[in-house]
Amino acid sequence: MKKKLYHLLKICGEGLKRFFRPIGSFIGKLWRHPKGRIGLIIVGLLILTAIFAPLIAPYDPYDVTERASKGLSPSWNHLLGTTITTGQDIFSMLIYGTRVSLIVGLVTGISIAFLGAIMGILAGYVGGLADTFIMRTVDIMLVIPTLPLTIVLTNLFGKSYFMIIFIFVLFGWTGLARVIRSLVLVLKNANYVKAAELAGASRWHIMIKHILPGVSHLLIMNTALTCAGIMIAEAGLSFLGLGDPTAISWGKMLADAQSGGALLFGHWWWIIAPGIGIFLSVFSFMRIGLVMEEILNPRMKQSSNIYKIFKTLNNNYLEEVFESMDESVILGDFAEKEEEIA
Amino acid sequence: MNESELMLKLRNLKVIFPSGQGIIKAVEGINLDIEKGKCVALVGESGCGKSVTSLAIMRLLNSPPAIVKVDELKLDQEELKDYSDGKMQELRGRTLSMIFQDAMTALNPVMTIGKQIDEIYIRHNHLSKKEARAETIRALDLVGVPEAKSRANSFPHQLSGGLRQRVLIAMAFACMPKLIIADEPTTALDVTIQAQVLNVLSDMQKKHQVSLLLITHDLSVVANMADTIYVMYSGKIVEKADKRDLFLSPHHPYTEGLLGSVPKLSDTQHHFVQIPDSVPHPMFKPTGCYFHPRCRYKTKKCEERMPPLVKIDEKCEVRCWHPLHIKGGGSQ
Amino acid sequence: MQKSYLIKRILYAIFIFFVVMVLNFFIPRIGVDDPAERYYPPQGNMTDVEYDIIKQVTREQYGFDVSNLQQFLNYAKGLFQGDLGTSFRPGNPKVSDLIAERLPWTLVLSVTNLLISLFIGLMIGTIAAWRRGRWQDTLLLNMSTISTALPAFFLALILSFYFGFELELFPAYTNPNMVSGFDWSWEAVKVVMYNAALPIISMSIGGIIGYGQGTRNAVIAVTNEDFILTARAKGLSRNQVIFKHTLRNAMLPIVTSLGMSISGLIGGAVIIEQIFNWNGMGTLFLEANNTNDYPLMMGIMLFMSAFAIVANLVTELCYSLLDPRVTVGEKR
Repeated sequence: MKKKLYHLLKICGEGLKRFFRPIGSFIGKLWRHPKGRIGLIIVGLLILTAIFAPLIAPYDPYDVTERASKGLSPSWNHLLGTTITTGQDIFSMLIYGTRVSLIVGLVTGISIAFLGAIMGILAGYVGGLADTFIMRTVDIMLVIPTLPLTIVLTNLFGKSYFMIIFIFVLFGWTGLARVIRSLVLVLKNANYVKAAELAGASRWHIMIKHILPGVSHLLIMNTALTCAGIMIAEAGLSFLGLGDPTAISWGKMLADAQSGGALLFGHWWWIIAPGIGIFLSVFSFMRIGLVMEEILNPRMKQSSNIYKIFKTLNNNYLEEVFESMDESVILGDFAEKEEEIA
Repeated sequence: MNESELMLKLRNLKVIFPSGQGIIKAVEGINLDIEKGKCVALVGESGCGKSVTSLAIMRLLNSPPAIVKVDELKLDQEELKDYSDGKMQELRGRTLSMIFQDAMTALNPVMTIGKQIDEIYIRHNHLSKKEARAETIRALDLVGVPEAKSRANSFPHQLSGGLRQRVLIAMAFACMPKLIIADEPTTALDVTIQAQVLNVLSDMQKKHQVSLLLITHDLSVVANMADTIYVMYSGKIVEKADKRDLFLSPHHPYTEGLLGSVPKLSDTQHHFVQIPDSVPHPMFKPTGCYFHPRCRYKTKKCEERMPPLVKIDEKCEVRCWHPLHIKGGGSQ
Repeated sequence: MQKSYLIKRILYAIFIFFVVMVLNFFIPRIGVDDPAERYYPPQGNMTDVEYDIIKQVTREQYGFDVSNLQQFLNYAKGLFQGDLGTSFRPGNPKVSDLIAERLPWTLVLSVTNLLISLFIGLMIGTIAAWRRGRWQDTLLLNMSTISTALPAFFLALILSFYFGFELELFPAYTNPNMVSGFDWSWEAVKVVMYNAALPIISMSIGGIIGYGQGTRNAVIAVTNEDFILTARAKGLSRNQVIFKHTLRNAMLPIVTSLGMSISGLIGGAVIIEQIFNWNGMGTLFLEANNTNDYPLMMGIMLFMSAFAIVANLVTELCYSLLDPRVTVGEKR
């Protein structure tokens, strides 16, 4: 029994190693791609901002005691002005908002990746009852309206980001599981998997060592796109006031701006600032996901590129290329050579 | 040869594909003649430009991505190379048609096969829907589709691979064109079905005196059908010969290699002759003779210069510095 | 379409509805022994005795004084008679009446939005596919990266700020009583459209671009298919190839996303409704949440789920009509 467990752990370790190996090369490929590089740089900056928020923010964003400086317009003292109701520094709030967005996005994205991969592989590879059960669950999840259920559950269990992450994961894995499942169904018939089966490898062995590495690229790409989607959803929920009421998030900033009279008094920067925060974080993750998609199936992109290439073609050069293929050129060469010999 | 006896006269066809990394030279100036009522085979491994040639003859290559240049493209003495798209549409399907490789993907999955054949009659013979269907059923009968009347209402996925290929053949012969191009018509099929489909194709061709350009990588397919064989390698014709001559005494080492890889029942002693490696990537072709890296007989000359296509006798041409089986000489 | 397939799908939809119904019944009962505690949470200034009395009343009023199974059976029985429950609101109105009152308001927004998104999206998507790689296509691509990264509610805020408060062109907050008794008169339609303009625009920008990009990708994917080449080799004209072969196949993925949009018609505008104070289902749900009106919340949820189930079923059936491969289970 103990030996068996040890064996299983060893397989898991090796499978994970194979799974994570492509990530390094992926980041390299992203970096070499101009659009991917923009995404990586923005994500890097956002992560740094989130970590060093207290150092970057000029004021304490939670400080609501500055009664004198309410509703200030942007100036060198307050880069993005202050809120009308409480006099908080909007720029500092913007900086701190990065934390919620990134944490919720990343934690949810990664959890969904794990759950979705497990469910997708089980459904696709094991098949049978597991497949039926998982796919039925997916179908049921799909018809339940997510936002209303989230509202009900926060009403039941209290408002917190933990709750939001939990609900996102609960509902988010379904789409990924479907995609992974259909890929696994293809991989299942691949020769190397068949060979491993014939050699007597156990199901776990095959799933972890052969199937999981096969889906890793798709999984990484999907995780980036999920993170982007989750960040938008998180902003929406925070806007409705379903997040942690004490935390500062971009969605909540927008809600405060709306209820605090930003629209009425023309304080557009109070609305634009969190909007830009949301846009940048979603945009950068999406960029990474889309560039990965492009790297994964280059055919789609190439067909678009060809028009740009055609615009820059040099006619003289093309003529040269065509001429070089002429039989007379080869014959001329031939005659010349014969002459030399003669 | 008299030009009026030629169904297709192709002179100096060149096709290139510019891409981000460089220029892909797919077809490098090939000449091709097909006599009326004859079957000509274009043989070569995948990636040597056969399919591109066939699409270029049909004028189906889009630009972009392809750039096509051709000196003469005459179908029954009619020059096609400067025809407008509209004029080509009139010709395609009526005087010039094509059989594609994989019938599963070449047929529209959401349309019944009957409807897909009807379209040709409606388009070219201006028949009503009802008349077209009658013609369709006759055409399906001709290629040996059983219960043609009910089968016409099935969708491609409901038919077996052999039947689907027959449907494609029926489509190509629908208007009894002058020239049919068959691009690997049997590659996607099982060997037994292959033989059936080839029989159908060759019967139809002989019965209706249609010229056929058969494109394949499989010399055993060619053996029964073709009159003349062109061997293509990496965008160039390397050998042209009558079927008999080519099988008995191949002049180009590549042809010899292709022949060596055909299994023979009578020959149980020898192993297959194998051609090492594969066709060079069309963007990175070797210097000199394109075949030299894989050639058993290569010399220094082969590495430096591309050999010209030389006439050996009336019907035979070869592109090689050291052709095999030449009377009174050669490298053997 | 096969009859057995139809019956199978309908039975499956019923099964899913049953599961959703069970979930709906149990969700408010999570974490409490007595559902009355959920339906009527203790207030701060209440003594235990008082609260016990209130719980007793609640139990009797909502039929919680029988076993769980019996409660579920009663609940199911009520549902089949079209009774979604009774709200806590003053006057205890029926949940179904409240939904019937608010539903048209939401549909005004979401159906208009869907129609606009679909038609304009299809149009610009086809244009972009047609002009692949040119500026129209690049513009759509860039727009789609930007618009997917901007939440619709942020757009709504900006629009309500600029067009509502700055220019005062459209109402930034709508009046729930904008028309007293909608009677389909031109005046009433005009008032509603005037009020709905900003919400609809902020919803449909993302929708248009989403459908546009989806259509573009679908059309391009189909153009690369082999059967399009076959259609062209048959000599069909450009328009015939596009309308008979390309668009029908490109419709398939669009139908799938259309189905998803339809199932989200009712619950998809909660935040937008809240921003513009629009008196629809979303605001109704938020109101119910603020007053802990569980019967109302669960009633709305069940209604939304049922709507989504029916929408999915219809989509699947439409899909199987468009794609004959579905009924044999090759594609899902």
